[in-house]
Amino acid sequence: MWAYVFRRLLVTIPTVLAVVTICYLLLHATPGGPFDSERKVSDAVLANLQAKYHLDMPLWKQYLYYLNDLVHGDLGASFRYADWSVNDLVKRALPVSLAIGGTAMVIAVVLGVALGIVAALRQNSAVDYLVMLFGNIGSVLPSFVLGPVLVLVFAITLPWLPSGGWDDFAPRYMVLPIALLTLINVSTIGRIMRGSLIEVMSSNFIRTARAKGLPTRLVVMRHALRPALLPVVSVLGPLAVGSITSAIVTESWFSIPGLGRLIVNGASDRDYTLVLGLVVLVTVMTVLLNLVVDLAYAWLDPKIRY
Amino acid sequence: MQSPVSRGQEHAYTEAQLATRRAKSSNMNMRLTSAIVRTVVATLLAAGALAPACAAIIPPGTPLAAKQEMVRNNGAEPDSLDPAITTSLNSALIVGDLFEGLTAEDHHGNVVPGVAESWKRTDPTTWVFKLRKTAVWSNGQPVTADDFVYGWRRHMDPKTASISASVAVYILNGQDVVKGRKPLTDLGVRAIDRQTLEVKTAGLVPFLDALVASAQMSPEPRAAIEKFGKDWTKPGNLVSNGAYVLKDWQVNSKIVLEKNPRYWDAANVQLTRVTFLCVEDGNADLKLYQSGEEDYMQQLPPGTYSALKARYPDELRNGPVLGMRFSALNNDDPLLKDVRVRKALSMVIDREVLASKITADGQVPLYGLTIASVTGAKPARYDWADWPMDKRVAEARKLLAEAGVKPGTHLKYAYNTSDYNKKMAIFTASEWKTKLGLETDLDSFEFKVLLGKIHGGDFQVGRFAFGFDVTDVTEPLELVQCESDLNYNRNCDRKADGLITQGTLSTDPAQREALLTQALKLLTDDYPMIPLLQASMPRLVKAWIGGYDQAIFTRSKDFFVLQH
Repeated sequence: MWAYVFRRLLVTIPTVLAVVTICYLLLHATPGGPFDSERKVSDAVLANLQAKYHLDMPLWKQYLYYLNDLVHGDLGASFRYADWSVNDLVKRALPVSLAIGGTAMVIAVVLGVALGIVAALRQNSAVDYLVMLFGNIGSVLPSFVLGPVLVLVFAITLPWLPSGGWDDFAPRYMVLPIALLTLINVSTIGRIMRGSLIEVMSSNFIRTARAKGLPTRLVVMRHALRPALLPVVSVLGPLAVGSITSAIVTESWFSIPGLGRLIVNGASDRDYTLVLGLVVLVTVMTVLLNLVVDLAYAWLDPKIRY
Repeated sequence: MQSPVSRGQEHAYTEAQLATRRAKSSNMNMRLTSAIVRTVVATLLAAGALAPACAAIIPPGTPLAAKQEMVRNNGAEPDSLDPAITTSLNSALIVGDLFEGLTAEDHHGNVVPGVAESWKRTDPTTWVFKLRKTAVWSNGQPVTADDFVYGWRRHMDPKTASISASVAVYILNGQDVVKGRKPLTDLGVRAIDRQTLEVKTAGLVPFLDALVASAQMSPEPRAAIEKFGKDWTKPGNLVSNGAYVLKDWQVNSKIVLEKNPRYWDAANVQLTRVTFLCVEDGNADLKLYQSGEEDYMQQLPPGTYSALKARYPDELRNGPVLGMRFSALNNDDPLLKDVRVRKALSMVIDREVLASKITADGQVPLYGLTIASVTGAKPARYDWADWPMDKRVAEARKLLAEAGVKPGTHLKYAYNTSDYNKKMAIFTASEWKTKLGLETDLDSFEFKVLLGKIHGGDFQVGRFAFGFDVTDVTEPLELVQCESDLNYNRNCDRKADGLITQGTLSTDPAQREALLTQALKLLTDDYPMIPLLQASMPRLVKAWIGGYDQAIFTRSKDFFVLQH
């Protein structure tokens, strides 16, 4: 298995390289540059700026410069946040996004799986319908509708929590954004878990387990749960990456200084280095989380061996 | 999922920054200095009177709250806290609290003494500023004339590559220094002694006292910059000379300032702690205000003005700012080359309806190339501004007929995506359709894409807005001058250009005004663009915040918290 892990980690390198190259070209092909604004910068100032950021070089040379810095762990200087390097910005934003997105994912998995099990075992009962209603609300209502509703109820009508903002991981600022991200993810996880468990519960080996006289609790816990979790686990990778690195709506609505805000501002300001730095981060995280998911498969499904 | 955010973003860039502003590449803050005020200050100084130290002016007997703290939303994360680098209005507000230049601007928009306690013009292009002895840095070192020389040179150094270095045009040799053609030492600023700074301007710059109030013209602490390098603006490293010091900086979240006890006018500074938030989304801003998390909004989200005005009559504050909204016209375009067509298109747009019903947020109708409060020239107003609409439409149709433009002709109008811009675009198209029978194709672009198109001349009609730094007429004229970087209309009137050049080089104020007035009149009659509205900045500010006056450049020093 370790050989497999090592191989997968090695593959990360060409993956990141390919993604960075494509993004690099796309970014530079996008109309508008980092220094465009209503007040057109004079040619003299523009020349100074381009020299400062190496933008006056041929594109291939700029690209090699960038790769060289990247190999040395330097993501470059940000155009938009002139006092900070991209490394600084990521170092500050990543823990914030991890705290919000990571907590939300953990809660969503526990809640989603539990609700999915309850709904599946009581298929077509009132409990099932209630759970599914809740689940559908979560997936039908986008975060830009749910967010304002949460704020309206818990920050304005009932002035219990702040409507947004951030203060060094103070819990009161984290409750509503975590709740929002949880609501969105729990419905997805719950629905998948329900469907998958219903399918597993009708398979032959479960009938065998029942025939042995095992109580339902044991049938579910010992035999059905692991195979039923497979589809849930396969969506966890992308869901987690999304919740952590690109919770754009949630972070903007609650004014959270996380990665999502950086991505939005970086893209709209044509902050090439910032966007590329975040792309590298998202790529690495995606590859790593997919690896974790694949390893989890092997644990869940005895048929899979690496 | 992303549309509301991108809309919010868009709003942040187009409305909030624009309306006030000098958006990203702006050199300085917008100023509302009136001619009268400047004259008064000048008179005082000429008479040898000491200009008054100005700070939070609290009416006698006003009960103040025990806790003097304020949370204000700044609308966006500052681009930099380094005076030499900063360009956006959001940054300038914070930098203006941390640093103080030779002069400053109070909350009425008046130029007041800053580090300089007095100044005079010794000849038309030479100004001498006398620095106060009590001005010190937050580390206790005195602020000297050399700190200004160092700061200004660093600002215009090609190696610094400051976007706002375009201000160099006003300082002797400034342009050549920025271009690297002359050494930094040739910049027209020198320290005569520790307390005396001499500034030589390139041509007549009658508004230099307002110009040096901007954040970018602050002194800079050489020792700290050389010690910490790029990190000198971080909390703990930053040495400042203004009313506040930097306490905390959480990127994309907040910046906390605390009162600087060593500031020369600390006795008149009320707020002990000011927190700047950087919430971009207008609706999130409003919710933070309503839930009591902030005392001071950046700007109302579009479409909320009348409802919020009714709901918070004591808290809604609005005022025109030094900026204008207009439709840029590509004067190179075969159709728009004809001044009759440009005039006709401008005449039929009912700015009163646009201001009162469409944008409906207190913007002011505009009938000329300059906004109210402009100085340095007599304003030129379109003669048809007061005509009834029927007469305007009849005249416009006649002009179009003369120019051979038939009803049904298509126009292309480019704007950047936002609800606000969309409303204005649809209104414009509808005016041209119903009154002139012209068809308008509306094209919406992402902001930077639109900028690229307009800067590159790849457009016919384009939505635009612009904020000015100073009230002097030379700034709005930059938008319509032949070789100006800011002339997106691509119009060129050599005669007017000659008058402007003569005017700016003239050392006689009366002659300067006469020449610039003449140029403004010529350009107004040439209809290079369609001016629509003077921008305003509606926002909610809690009733207990005292000292609020102008919407634009307000130092935290001028605020106080009433007992509540």
